Amino acid sequence: MGRQYEIPIGAQHISLLEPLHFKFTTENEKIVATEANVYYVHRGIEQACCSKFKFRQVSFVVGRVCGLCSISHTTAYSQVAEKLLKIEIPLRAKYLRMLVIELDRIHSHLLCLSHVAENSGFEALFMKTMQYREFSMELLEAVCGNRIQYDFSIVGGVARDLKPQVAQSILERLKKFIPQLDELMDIYKNNWTLSLKNKGAGAITKEDAMRLNVVGPFARAAGLAIDVRNETEDLLPWKQVGFEMITETSGDVYARNMVRLRELYVSIRIIENIINGLPESALITETKAFPDGEATVRLEAPRGELFYYAKGNKTQILERLKIKAPTFSNVAAMAEAFTGNEYGSAPAIIASYDPCLSCTAR
Amino acid sequence: MNKVMTSIENLKKDIGDFYKPELHHFMVMNAVEVGDQIEVQWFFSDYAHPCDTTCFYTLVRPETEIPSIKDIVASAWVAEAELVDLMNIKVENTQKGFVLEPDFESGPLRKKK
Amino acid sequence: MNLASYRKKSPWILHYNAGGCNGCDIEILACLGPKYDIERFGMINTGNPKQSDILLVTGPVTKRSRERLVEIYAQMPEPKVVVSCGACACTGGVFRGMYNCEGGVDQYIPVDVYVCGCGTRPEQIIDGVVQALGILEQKTKAMEVSVRLQKEPLKEEGQINRRNIADQIKPALS
Repeated sequence: MGRQYEIPIGAQHISLLEPLHFKFTTENEKIVATEANVYYVHRGIEQACCSKFKFRQVSFVVGRVCGLCSISHTTAYSQVAEKLLKIEIPLRAKYLRMLVIELDRIHSHLLCLSHVAENSGFEALFMKTMQYREFSMELLEAVCGNRIQYDFSIVGGVARDLKPQVAQSILERLKKFIPQLDELMDIYKNNWTLSLKNKGAGAITKEDAMRLNVVGPFARAAGLAIDVRNETEDLLPWKQVGFEMITETSGDVYARNMVRLRELYVSIRIIENIINGLPESALITETKAFPDGEATVRLEAPRGELFYYAKGNKTQILERLKIKAPTFSNVAAMAEAFTGNEYGSAPAIIASYDPCLSCTAR
Repeated sequence: MNKVMTSIENLKKDIGDFYKPELHHFMVMNAVEVGDQIEVQWFFSDYAHPCDTTCFYTLVRPETEIPSIKDIVASAWVAEAELVDLMNIKVENTQKGFVLEPDFESGPLRKKK
Repeated sequence: MNLASYRKKSPWILHYNAGGCNGCDIEILACLGPKYDIERFGMINTGNPKQSDILLVTGPVTKRSRERLVEIYAQMPEPKVVVSCGACACTGGVFRGMYNCEGGVDQYIPVDVYVCGCGTRPEQIIDGVVQALGILEQKTKAMEVSVRLQKEPLKEEGQINRRNIADQIKPALS
């Protein structure tokens, strides 16, 4: 046994988008223990949602929980509020919500992949992936009116309609994107240096993933088939639009990249199916009721399972709102998966978790 | 969502009997203020029967110490540490200061009396 | 050419998220990417405060990240420019009044350029950073004047480099 050193990473670090602090205990180059501090971004949104804002305003506030998956948050909150109000939303609104969630998944997964490439030391691939990602931001701007923070879902339905020419441009851009995605798949799969860096790094077994209750691409890369899109059919009809479960077995950084890339193909197929079969109906269900009772909602955000609990008391202000973000479930596994890896691969492993700490801390 | 009532004494036994790592997924722990008591909830989902969400709940006084389920569910420490700070309840073997700064007045989610 | 003219042509930026929602951060990342390409102004993203000239801050300052923010600002060498990106970094935005938030970056460190929007667009960020370049030039000139006239560099600034000073700074600024 060698001498042990403590090496901190964060809160400000070039490889981190957001404040996150890991304290590694290392022996020579091997990490033997990790301590995580993830609550730098705690703002107190839950308390404000239950005191300052009325229940129709809360869907705009919870969008600001996270800029990357804001549509997942607004949709999940809208769904839980609709359960409390006991209303059913129009079918077209459901399909439009799914469309924006999948477009958001494309941009979020490509951002994560580019970040992994940058942190593995592959700057050119970072630039390439960011270049290919821009089309999804432009499409989101065309559909929702803003590049980030869409505020697309509101309580009772959606805020904007999809114009036919926008739908047409989405199909055209996706057709152009498929060969680019094939190219990215080839690089991430077959590039020799990237494989040397990524294969075997940050690995987690299926048993560990079950024991630590991991969610999202992190779990699916280890072979644990958990995806809320496969499970709930009552709120959003995922299986009708061609959802397919993607799993890998090795559970390392490479497998996570592969899961994300293969999920992009599924997302593209879902978006094409939605646009080709978009039903005609109203966009919003009006109601004058107040939220009452308690309800829970689960939704698959780009990083995994998002969980909302809400309790109403027949007034404008909610009694309690609980947000469980995907990364919150992964914190315990994030600290354990470093063990046995070299310190040099730690930034790439952090990026491959795709941590979203503003979701976790709220 | 099926809610299962439990009590402080039977909590560890109930969850221990129910939870199998290969079958169940621990989601989150939550607490709601009901009158002058606090309703603490543990949410589980099922890998095999996807639409099932099971919620164990118990009503406790704010000063009661809640038993920890860390030895049954390995990843529960994050949820427990968060509730200790935000709701100002006591959980076995859990320190304050994970979410909020140590000098901060704890329990911001509790209603001001 | 001396150091000042190099600084004018190639300012290095440092990015810190003081508790925002990631939205502005991914737009800063998009600025570094090929479409908006902030490198055509000679800027690159650096992780080291000691080598950087422009500090991009996003987010309302949360209680846990405020001391890190002041520490990073103090470690940057003079002259330095602070750009606050996004509505919540400028004023606190939607998070204003939440129990763990401060209302904006300028409660703790002096801000030179405010970039508005939720979330900020990459064009706005580039606009703000280019304005910051002008301010950086002015500050460089001001420092040179002080050296020439007083035969010694300015001493009032650049001395806040201790921990736990966030509490002392806030009353002094307000």
